[in-house]
Amino acid sequence: MVSCVDIVDDIYIKSDGTGTFKYSVNLSASKVKVNSILALDSLDGRKVPSIPEIKEKINRYKEIFSQKEGMSNVKVESDFTNFIFKFQCDFESVIHLQKALKDFVLEESKNKNFKDLETNWLDWEMNKLTRSIPSITIDFTSKLKKEDAEALKTGKYVCISRFEKLVDKVENSSALISPNKQAVMIKTTPYALIQNLKLLENTIYLTENKKP
Amino acid sequence: MINNSHRYVLFLLGIVVSFFASAQTSDDLIPKDAVTVFSVNNTSLLKKISMDSIIQYEFMEEVQSEMFDGSADNKTLKDAGVDFNQKLNVFYGRNGNYEVSGFTFGISSLKDLLRVFDDFDKTKSPVDGIEYYNSYFNHLILKGNAGLVLRVDPSYEKVKHVTDSIWRARGNGYVIDDKAKSEEEGMDEGDEGDDIDKILKDGELDEDDSETKLDPKAVQIKTYWELKDSVTSVLQARYLNAILVEMFEKNIHLKNQDVRFNDMLTHTCEGTFYLDNSRNFQYAKGFWYFQTMFPELFKDIKALYSGNVVIGDIFLKENAISVKFEAHYGKDLGKIYQKLNSTKFDKSVLNYIHEDCAGFFTYNVNLKEGYKQAYDIIIPMLSKERDPRVTTNVLKAELLNEFLNTDAIFETYQGSMFGTFNGIKKVKTKKIEFSYDENTFEYKEKEIEGEEEMPMFTVGFSTGRADIPEKILSYMSKMTSRFKNMGKYWKIDDAVFNSIPVYVMAGNNGLLVITNDEDLAINHTNGYGIKSLSGKKAKSAKKSKFMYAYVNIGEVLNKIPKQVFTAKQNEILDAMRGKEGFVELTTEKTTADHTNFDINYFFQGNYKDSGIYLLDLINSAYVLAK
Repeated sequence: MVSCVDIVDDIYIKSDGTGTFKYSVNLSASKVKVNSILALDSLDGRKVPSIPEIKEKINRYKEIFSQKEGMSNVKVESDFTNFIFKFQCDFESVIHLQKALKDFVLEESKNKNFKDLETNWLDWEMNKLTRSIPSITIDFTSKLKKEDAEALKTGKYVCISRFEKLVDKVENSSALISPNKQAVMIKTTPYALIQNLKLLENTIYLTENKKP
Repeated sequence: MINNSHRYVLFLLGIVVSFFASAQTSDDLIPKDAVTVFSVNNTSLLKKISMDSIIQYEFMEEVQSEMFDGSADNKTLKDAGVDFNQKLNVFYGRNGNYEVSGFTFGISSLKDLLRVFDDFDKTKSPVDGIEYYNSYFNHLILKGNAGLVLRVDPSYEKVKHVTDSIWRARGNGYVIDDKAKSEEEGMDEGDEGDDIDKILKDGELDEDDSETKLDPKAVQIKTYWELKDSVTSVLQARYLNAILVEMFEKNIHLKNQDVRFNDMLTHTCEGTFYLDNSRNFQYAKGFWYFQTMFPELFKDIKALYSGNVVIGDIFLKENAISVKFEAHYGKDLGKIYQKLNSTKFDKSVLNYIHEDCAGFFTYNVNLKEGYKQAYDIIIPMLSKERDPRVTTNVLKAELLNEFLNTDAIFETYQGSMFGTFNGIKKVKTKKIEFSYDENTFEYKEKEIEGEEEMPMFTVGFSTGRADIPEKILSYMSKMTSRFKNMGKYWKIDDAVFNSIPVYVMAGNNGLLVITNDEDLAINHTNGYGIKSLSGKKAKSAKKSKFMYAYVNIGEVLNKIPKQVFTAKQNEILDAMRGKEGFVELTTEKTTADHTNFDINYFFQGNYKDSGIYLLDLINSAYVLAK
């Protein structure tokens, strides 16, 4: 099987702490497999949802997220031909964003005992962003069959942090600073991430100056 | 701890895979209501697979351990008191009142056998001349050197009918006993009891209760569900008693009631099976409403299905497992089948089957003649019915028959067809990739070409009117750009899983061919020519009358990607992946009363014998299920 999934996790933080969060999942390389699964009633004893059911759920999630404190301009784009799903929202602060995400996970998940939800994955101080990713991002992968987990080696996980100010330095040696100095990118695979969540941990220091 | 039913299933599994043999006594203990019987001829089989090699298998260790109460203690199936010179018969059946299931076997040592059935208590037999043991719903009956394990369950409809009669006669209202609904909602017995308590009323017990001989006082204080349990229990005893009287006092059993079954038991093969479809049809649960509302029509349909019996023999050969079965049917159904099969093999299909094809089938029917014959038999049958719904439908069928050009329909779709598996090939797909701006890391979507492995299939239909599908495709191409006329063939984009194109070739050699194999459409529009199927396989396909199928097991399993199967299926298939062989299905001419089918599974490559091959498979399945 070719690359199965392409995920982009993209956050933009303005100098005042407000910003935009984007999360895109691209399954177009696996669309034959996704379509073949959608053609089934059930898989491994679990019901396979229909496209209208998925659409309904996405709309409901969008509604719920729109009502979270500090969240605005919530958008979801769903492409059921290529199976590309894009989520985007504006936030008042990274604290609001984290709280909205945590509340949402707790409300919608059957599992209410996420220890990881007590920790913060985003920490914004003036001129410094510390970020990691929560373990719930990869929790579902523990249920994957061996061959499906192996297929994640061909996938991509891209983590991008963007700023109004210029980036001074980063702590993660795998991170790339864009030539315009306003973005930091770490590329990995979902498989590598399952093995080591710390791959995306990073502290980014900004200069006092905005781009001229 | 493993429960009793599990232990008997294991016991049964043990004796099935050990394949026992043939004196006649165990054959005489099959109730006449059995509609499905699977018999294993142990004597014949044990000549081919030794008991010593069977008991070496991992699955047998647990079977034996369970049979001897947790510890095999060096005991094997050979110590279970079973007579390996008699046949093992497993049966199931149902009639309007009850379901009956169980198995019969020979006994060499009663003492040893009773150690296996140690939780059966000896009780007074309802009839003379047998020894009788009980364990909950299961009954062990011994006569001479043969044993019968029997279970009788009254039908849901019968239990409900009797319970409702008593319940309503006591002045109570109608109870909605929606079994399926309560199962779906996951109601437990407590919930049901609570609901029933609300509608329970005091009532007098009247004469209707005498039918089940329930204690009148007990009946008065029972809830509906308790009453139903009591009715079930009483009917269970009554039907069991009736079966025992019938079998052991009147000497009525399947063997002396059905000549075909009696004849089948004399076949010299390793196993046989018997399936009486006419009785299956008669007592099918879904037909209750039909039977009640349209009794005359039901009678006619029942007559149409009379004599519909399948009888089969299983042979274990040195290099093959062979199954030969005869499908018997009544006069009218025979007429329809004969007309359906009154066609010649369409040789042009061979042109579209590659000589190296790993799996294919051919199917030859004359749909037009079959339709006419079925119309002539079924419409008069339906016309006798006075029910407005049936009459309306008959009128619709007759009008459609008059107004539609049935010749054009059956010239377009004549009925004969073929299908092939063309292996796994890479197909081009389109996918979206995120491309990043080197300066800003902003990203956008870019369409690129991808490749995916896909199983390739081809199906083709004989047609005398290729112009009709051509017309449909032509109009479709005006409505959507996905239909493209490529000259020699049509291409329909994104037809499979919204991603893979399908190719249609209409009219070549009187066939309508549909495939996802681009190579066939582009390079072999008129067939594979000298590379097409010929020789022995082609002759077999031509010779086999209405159906032929061939599957090269090793090749197909090796070619189909593992991702197509679930992890569990793959573990079972792995037991077959290392082995080579092929399966062939052939049929003989359809006569007025039967059609013969043969299925042969030939083994090739490295194996000891067919029995070991079979046991390897059973063991793999068992180890996997552990």
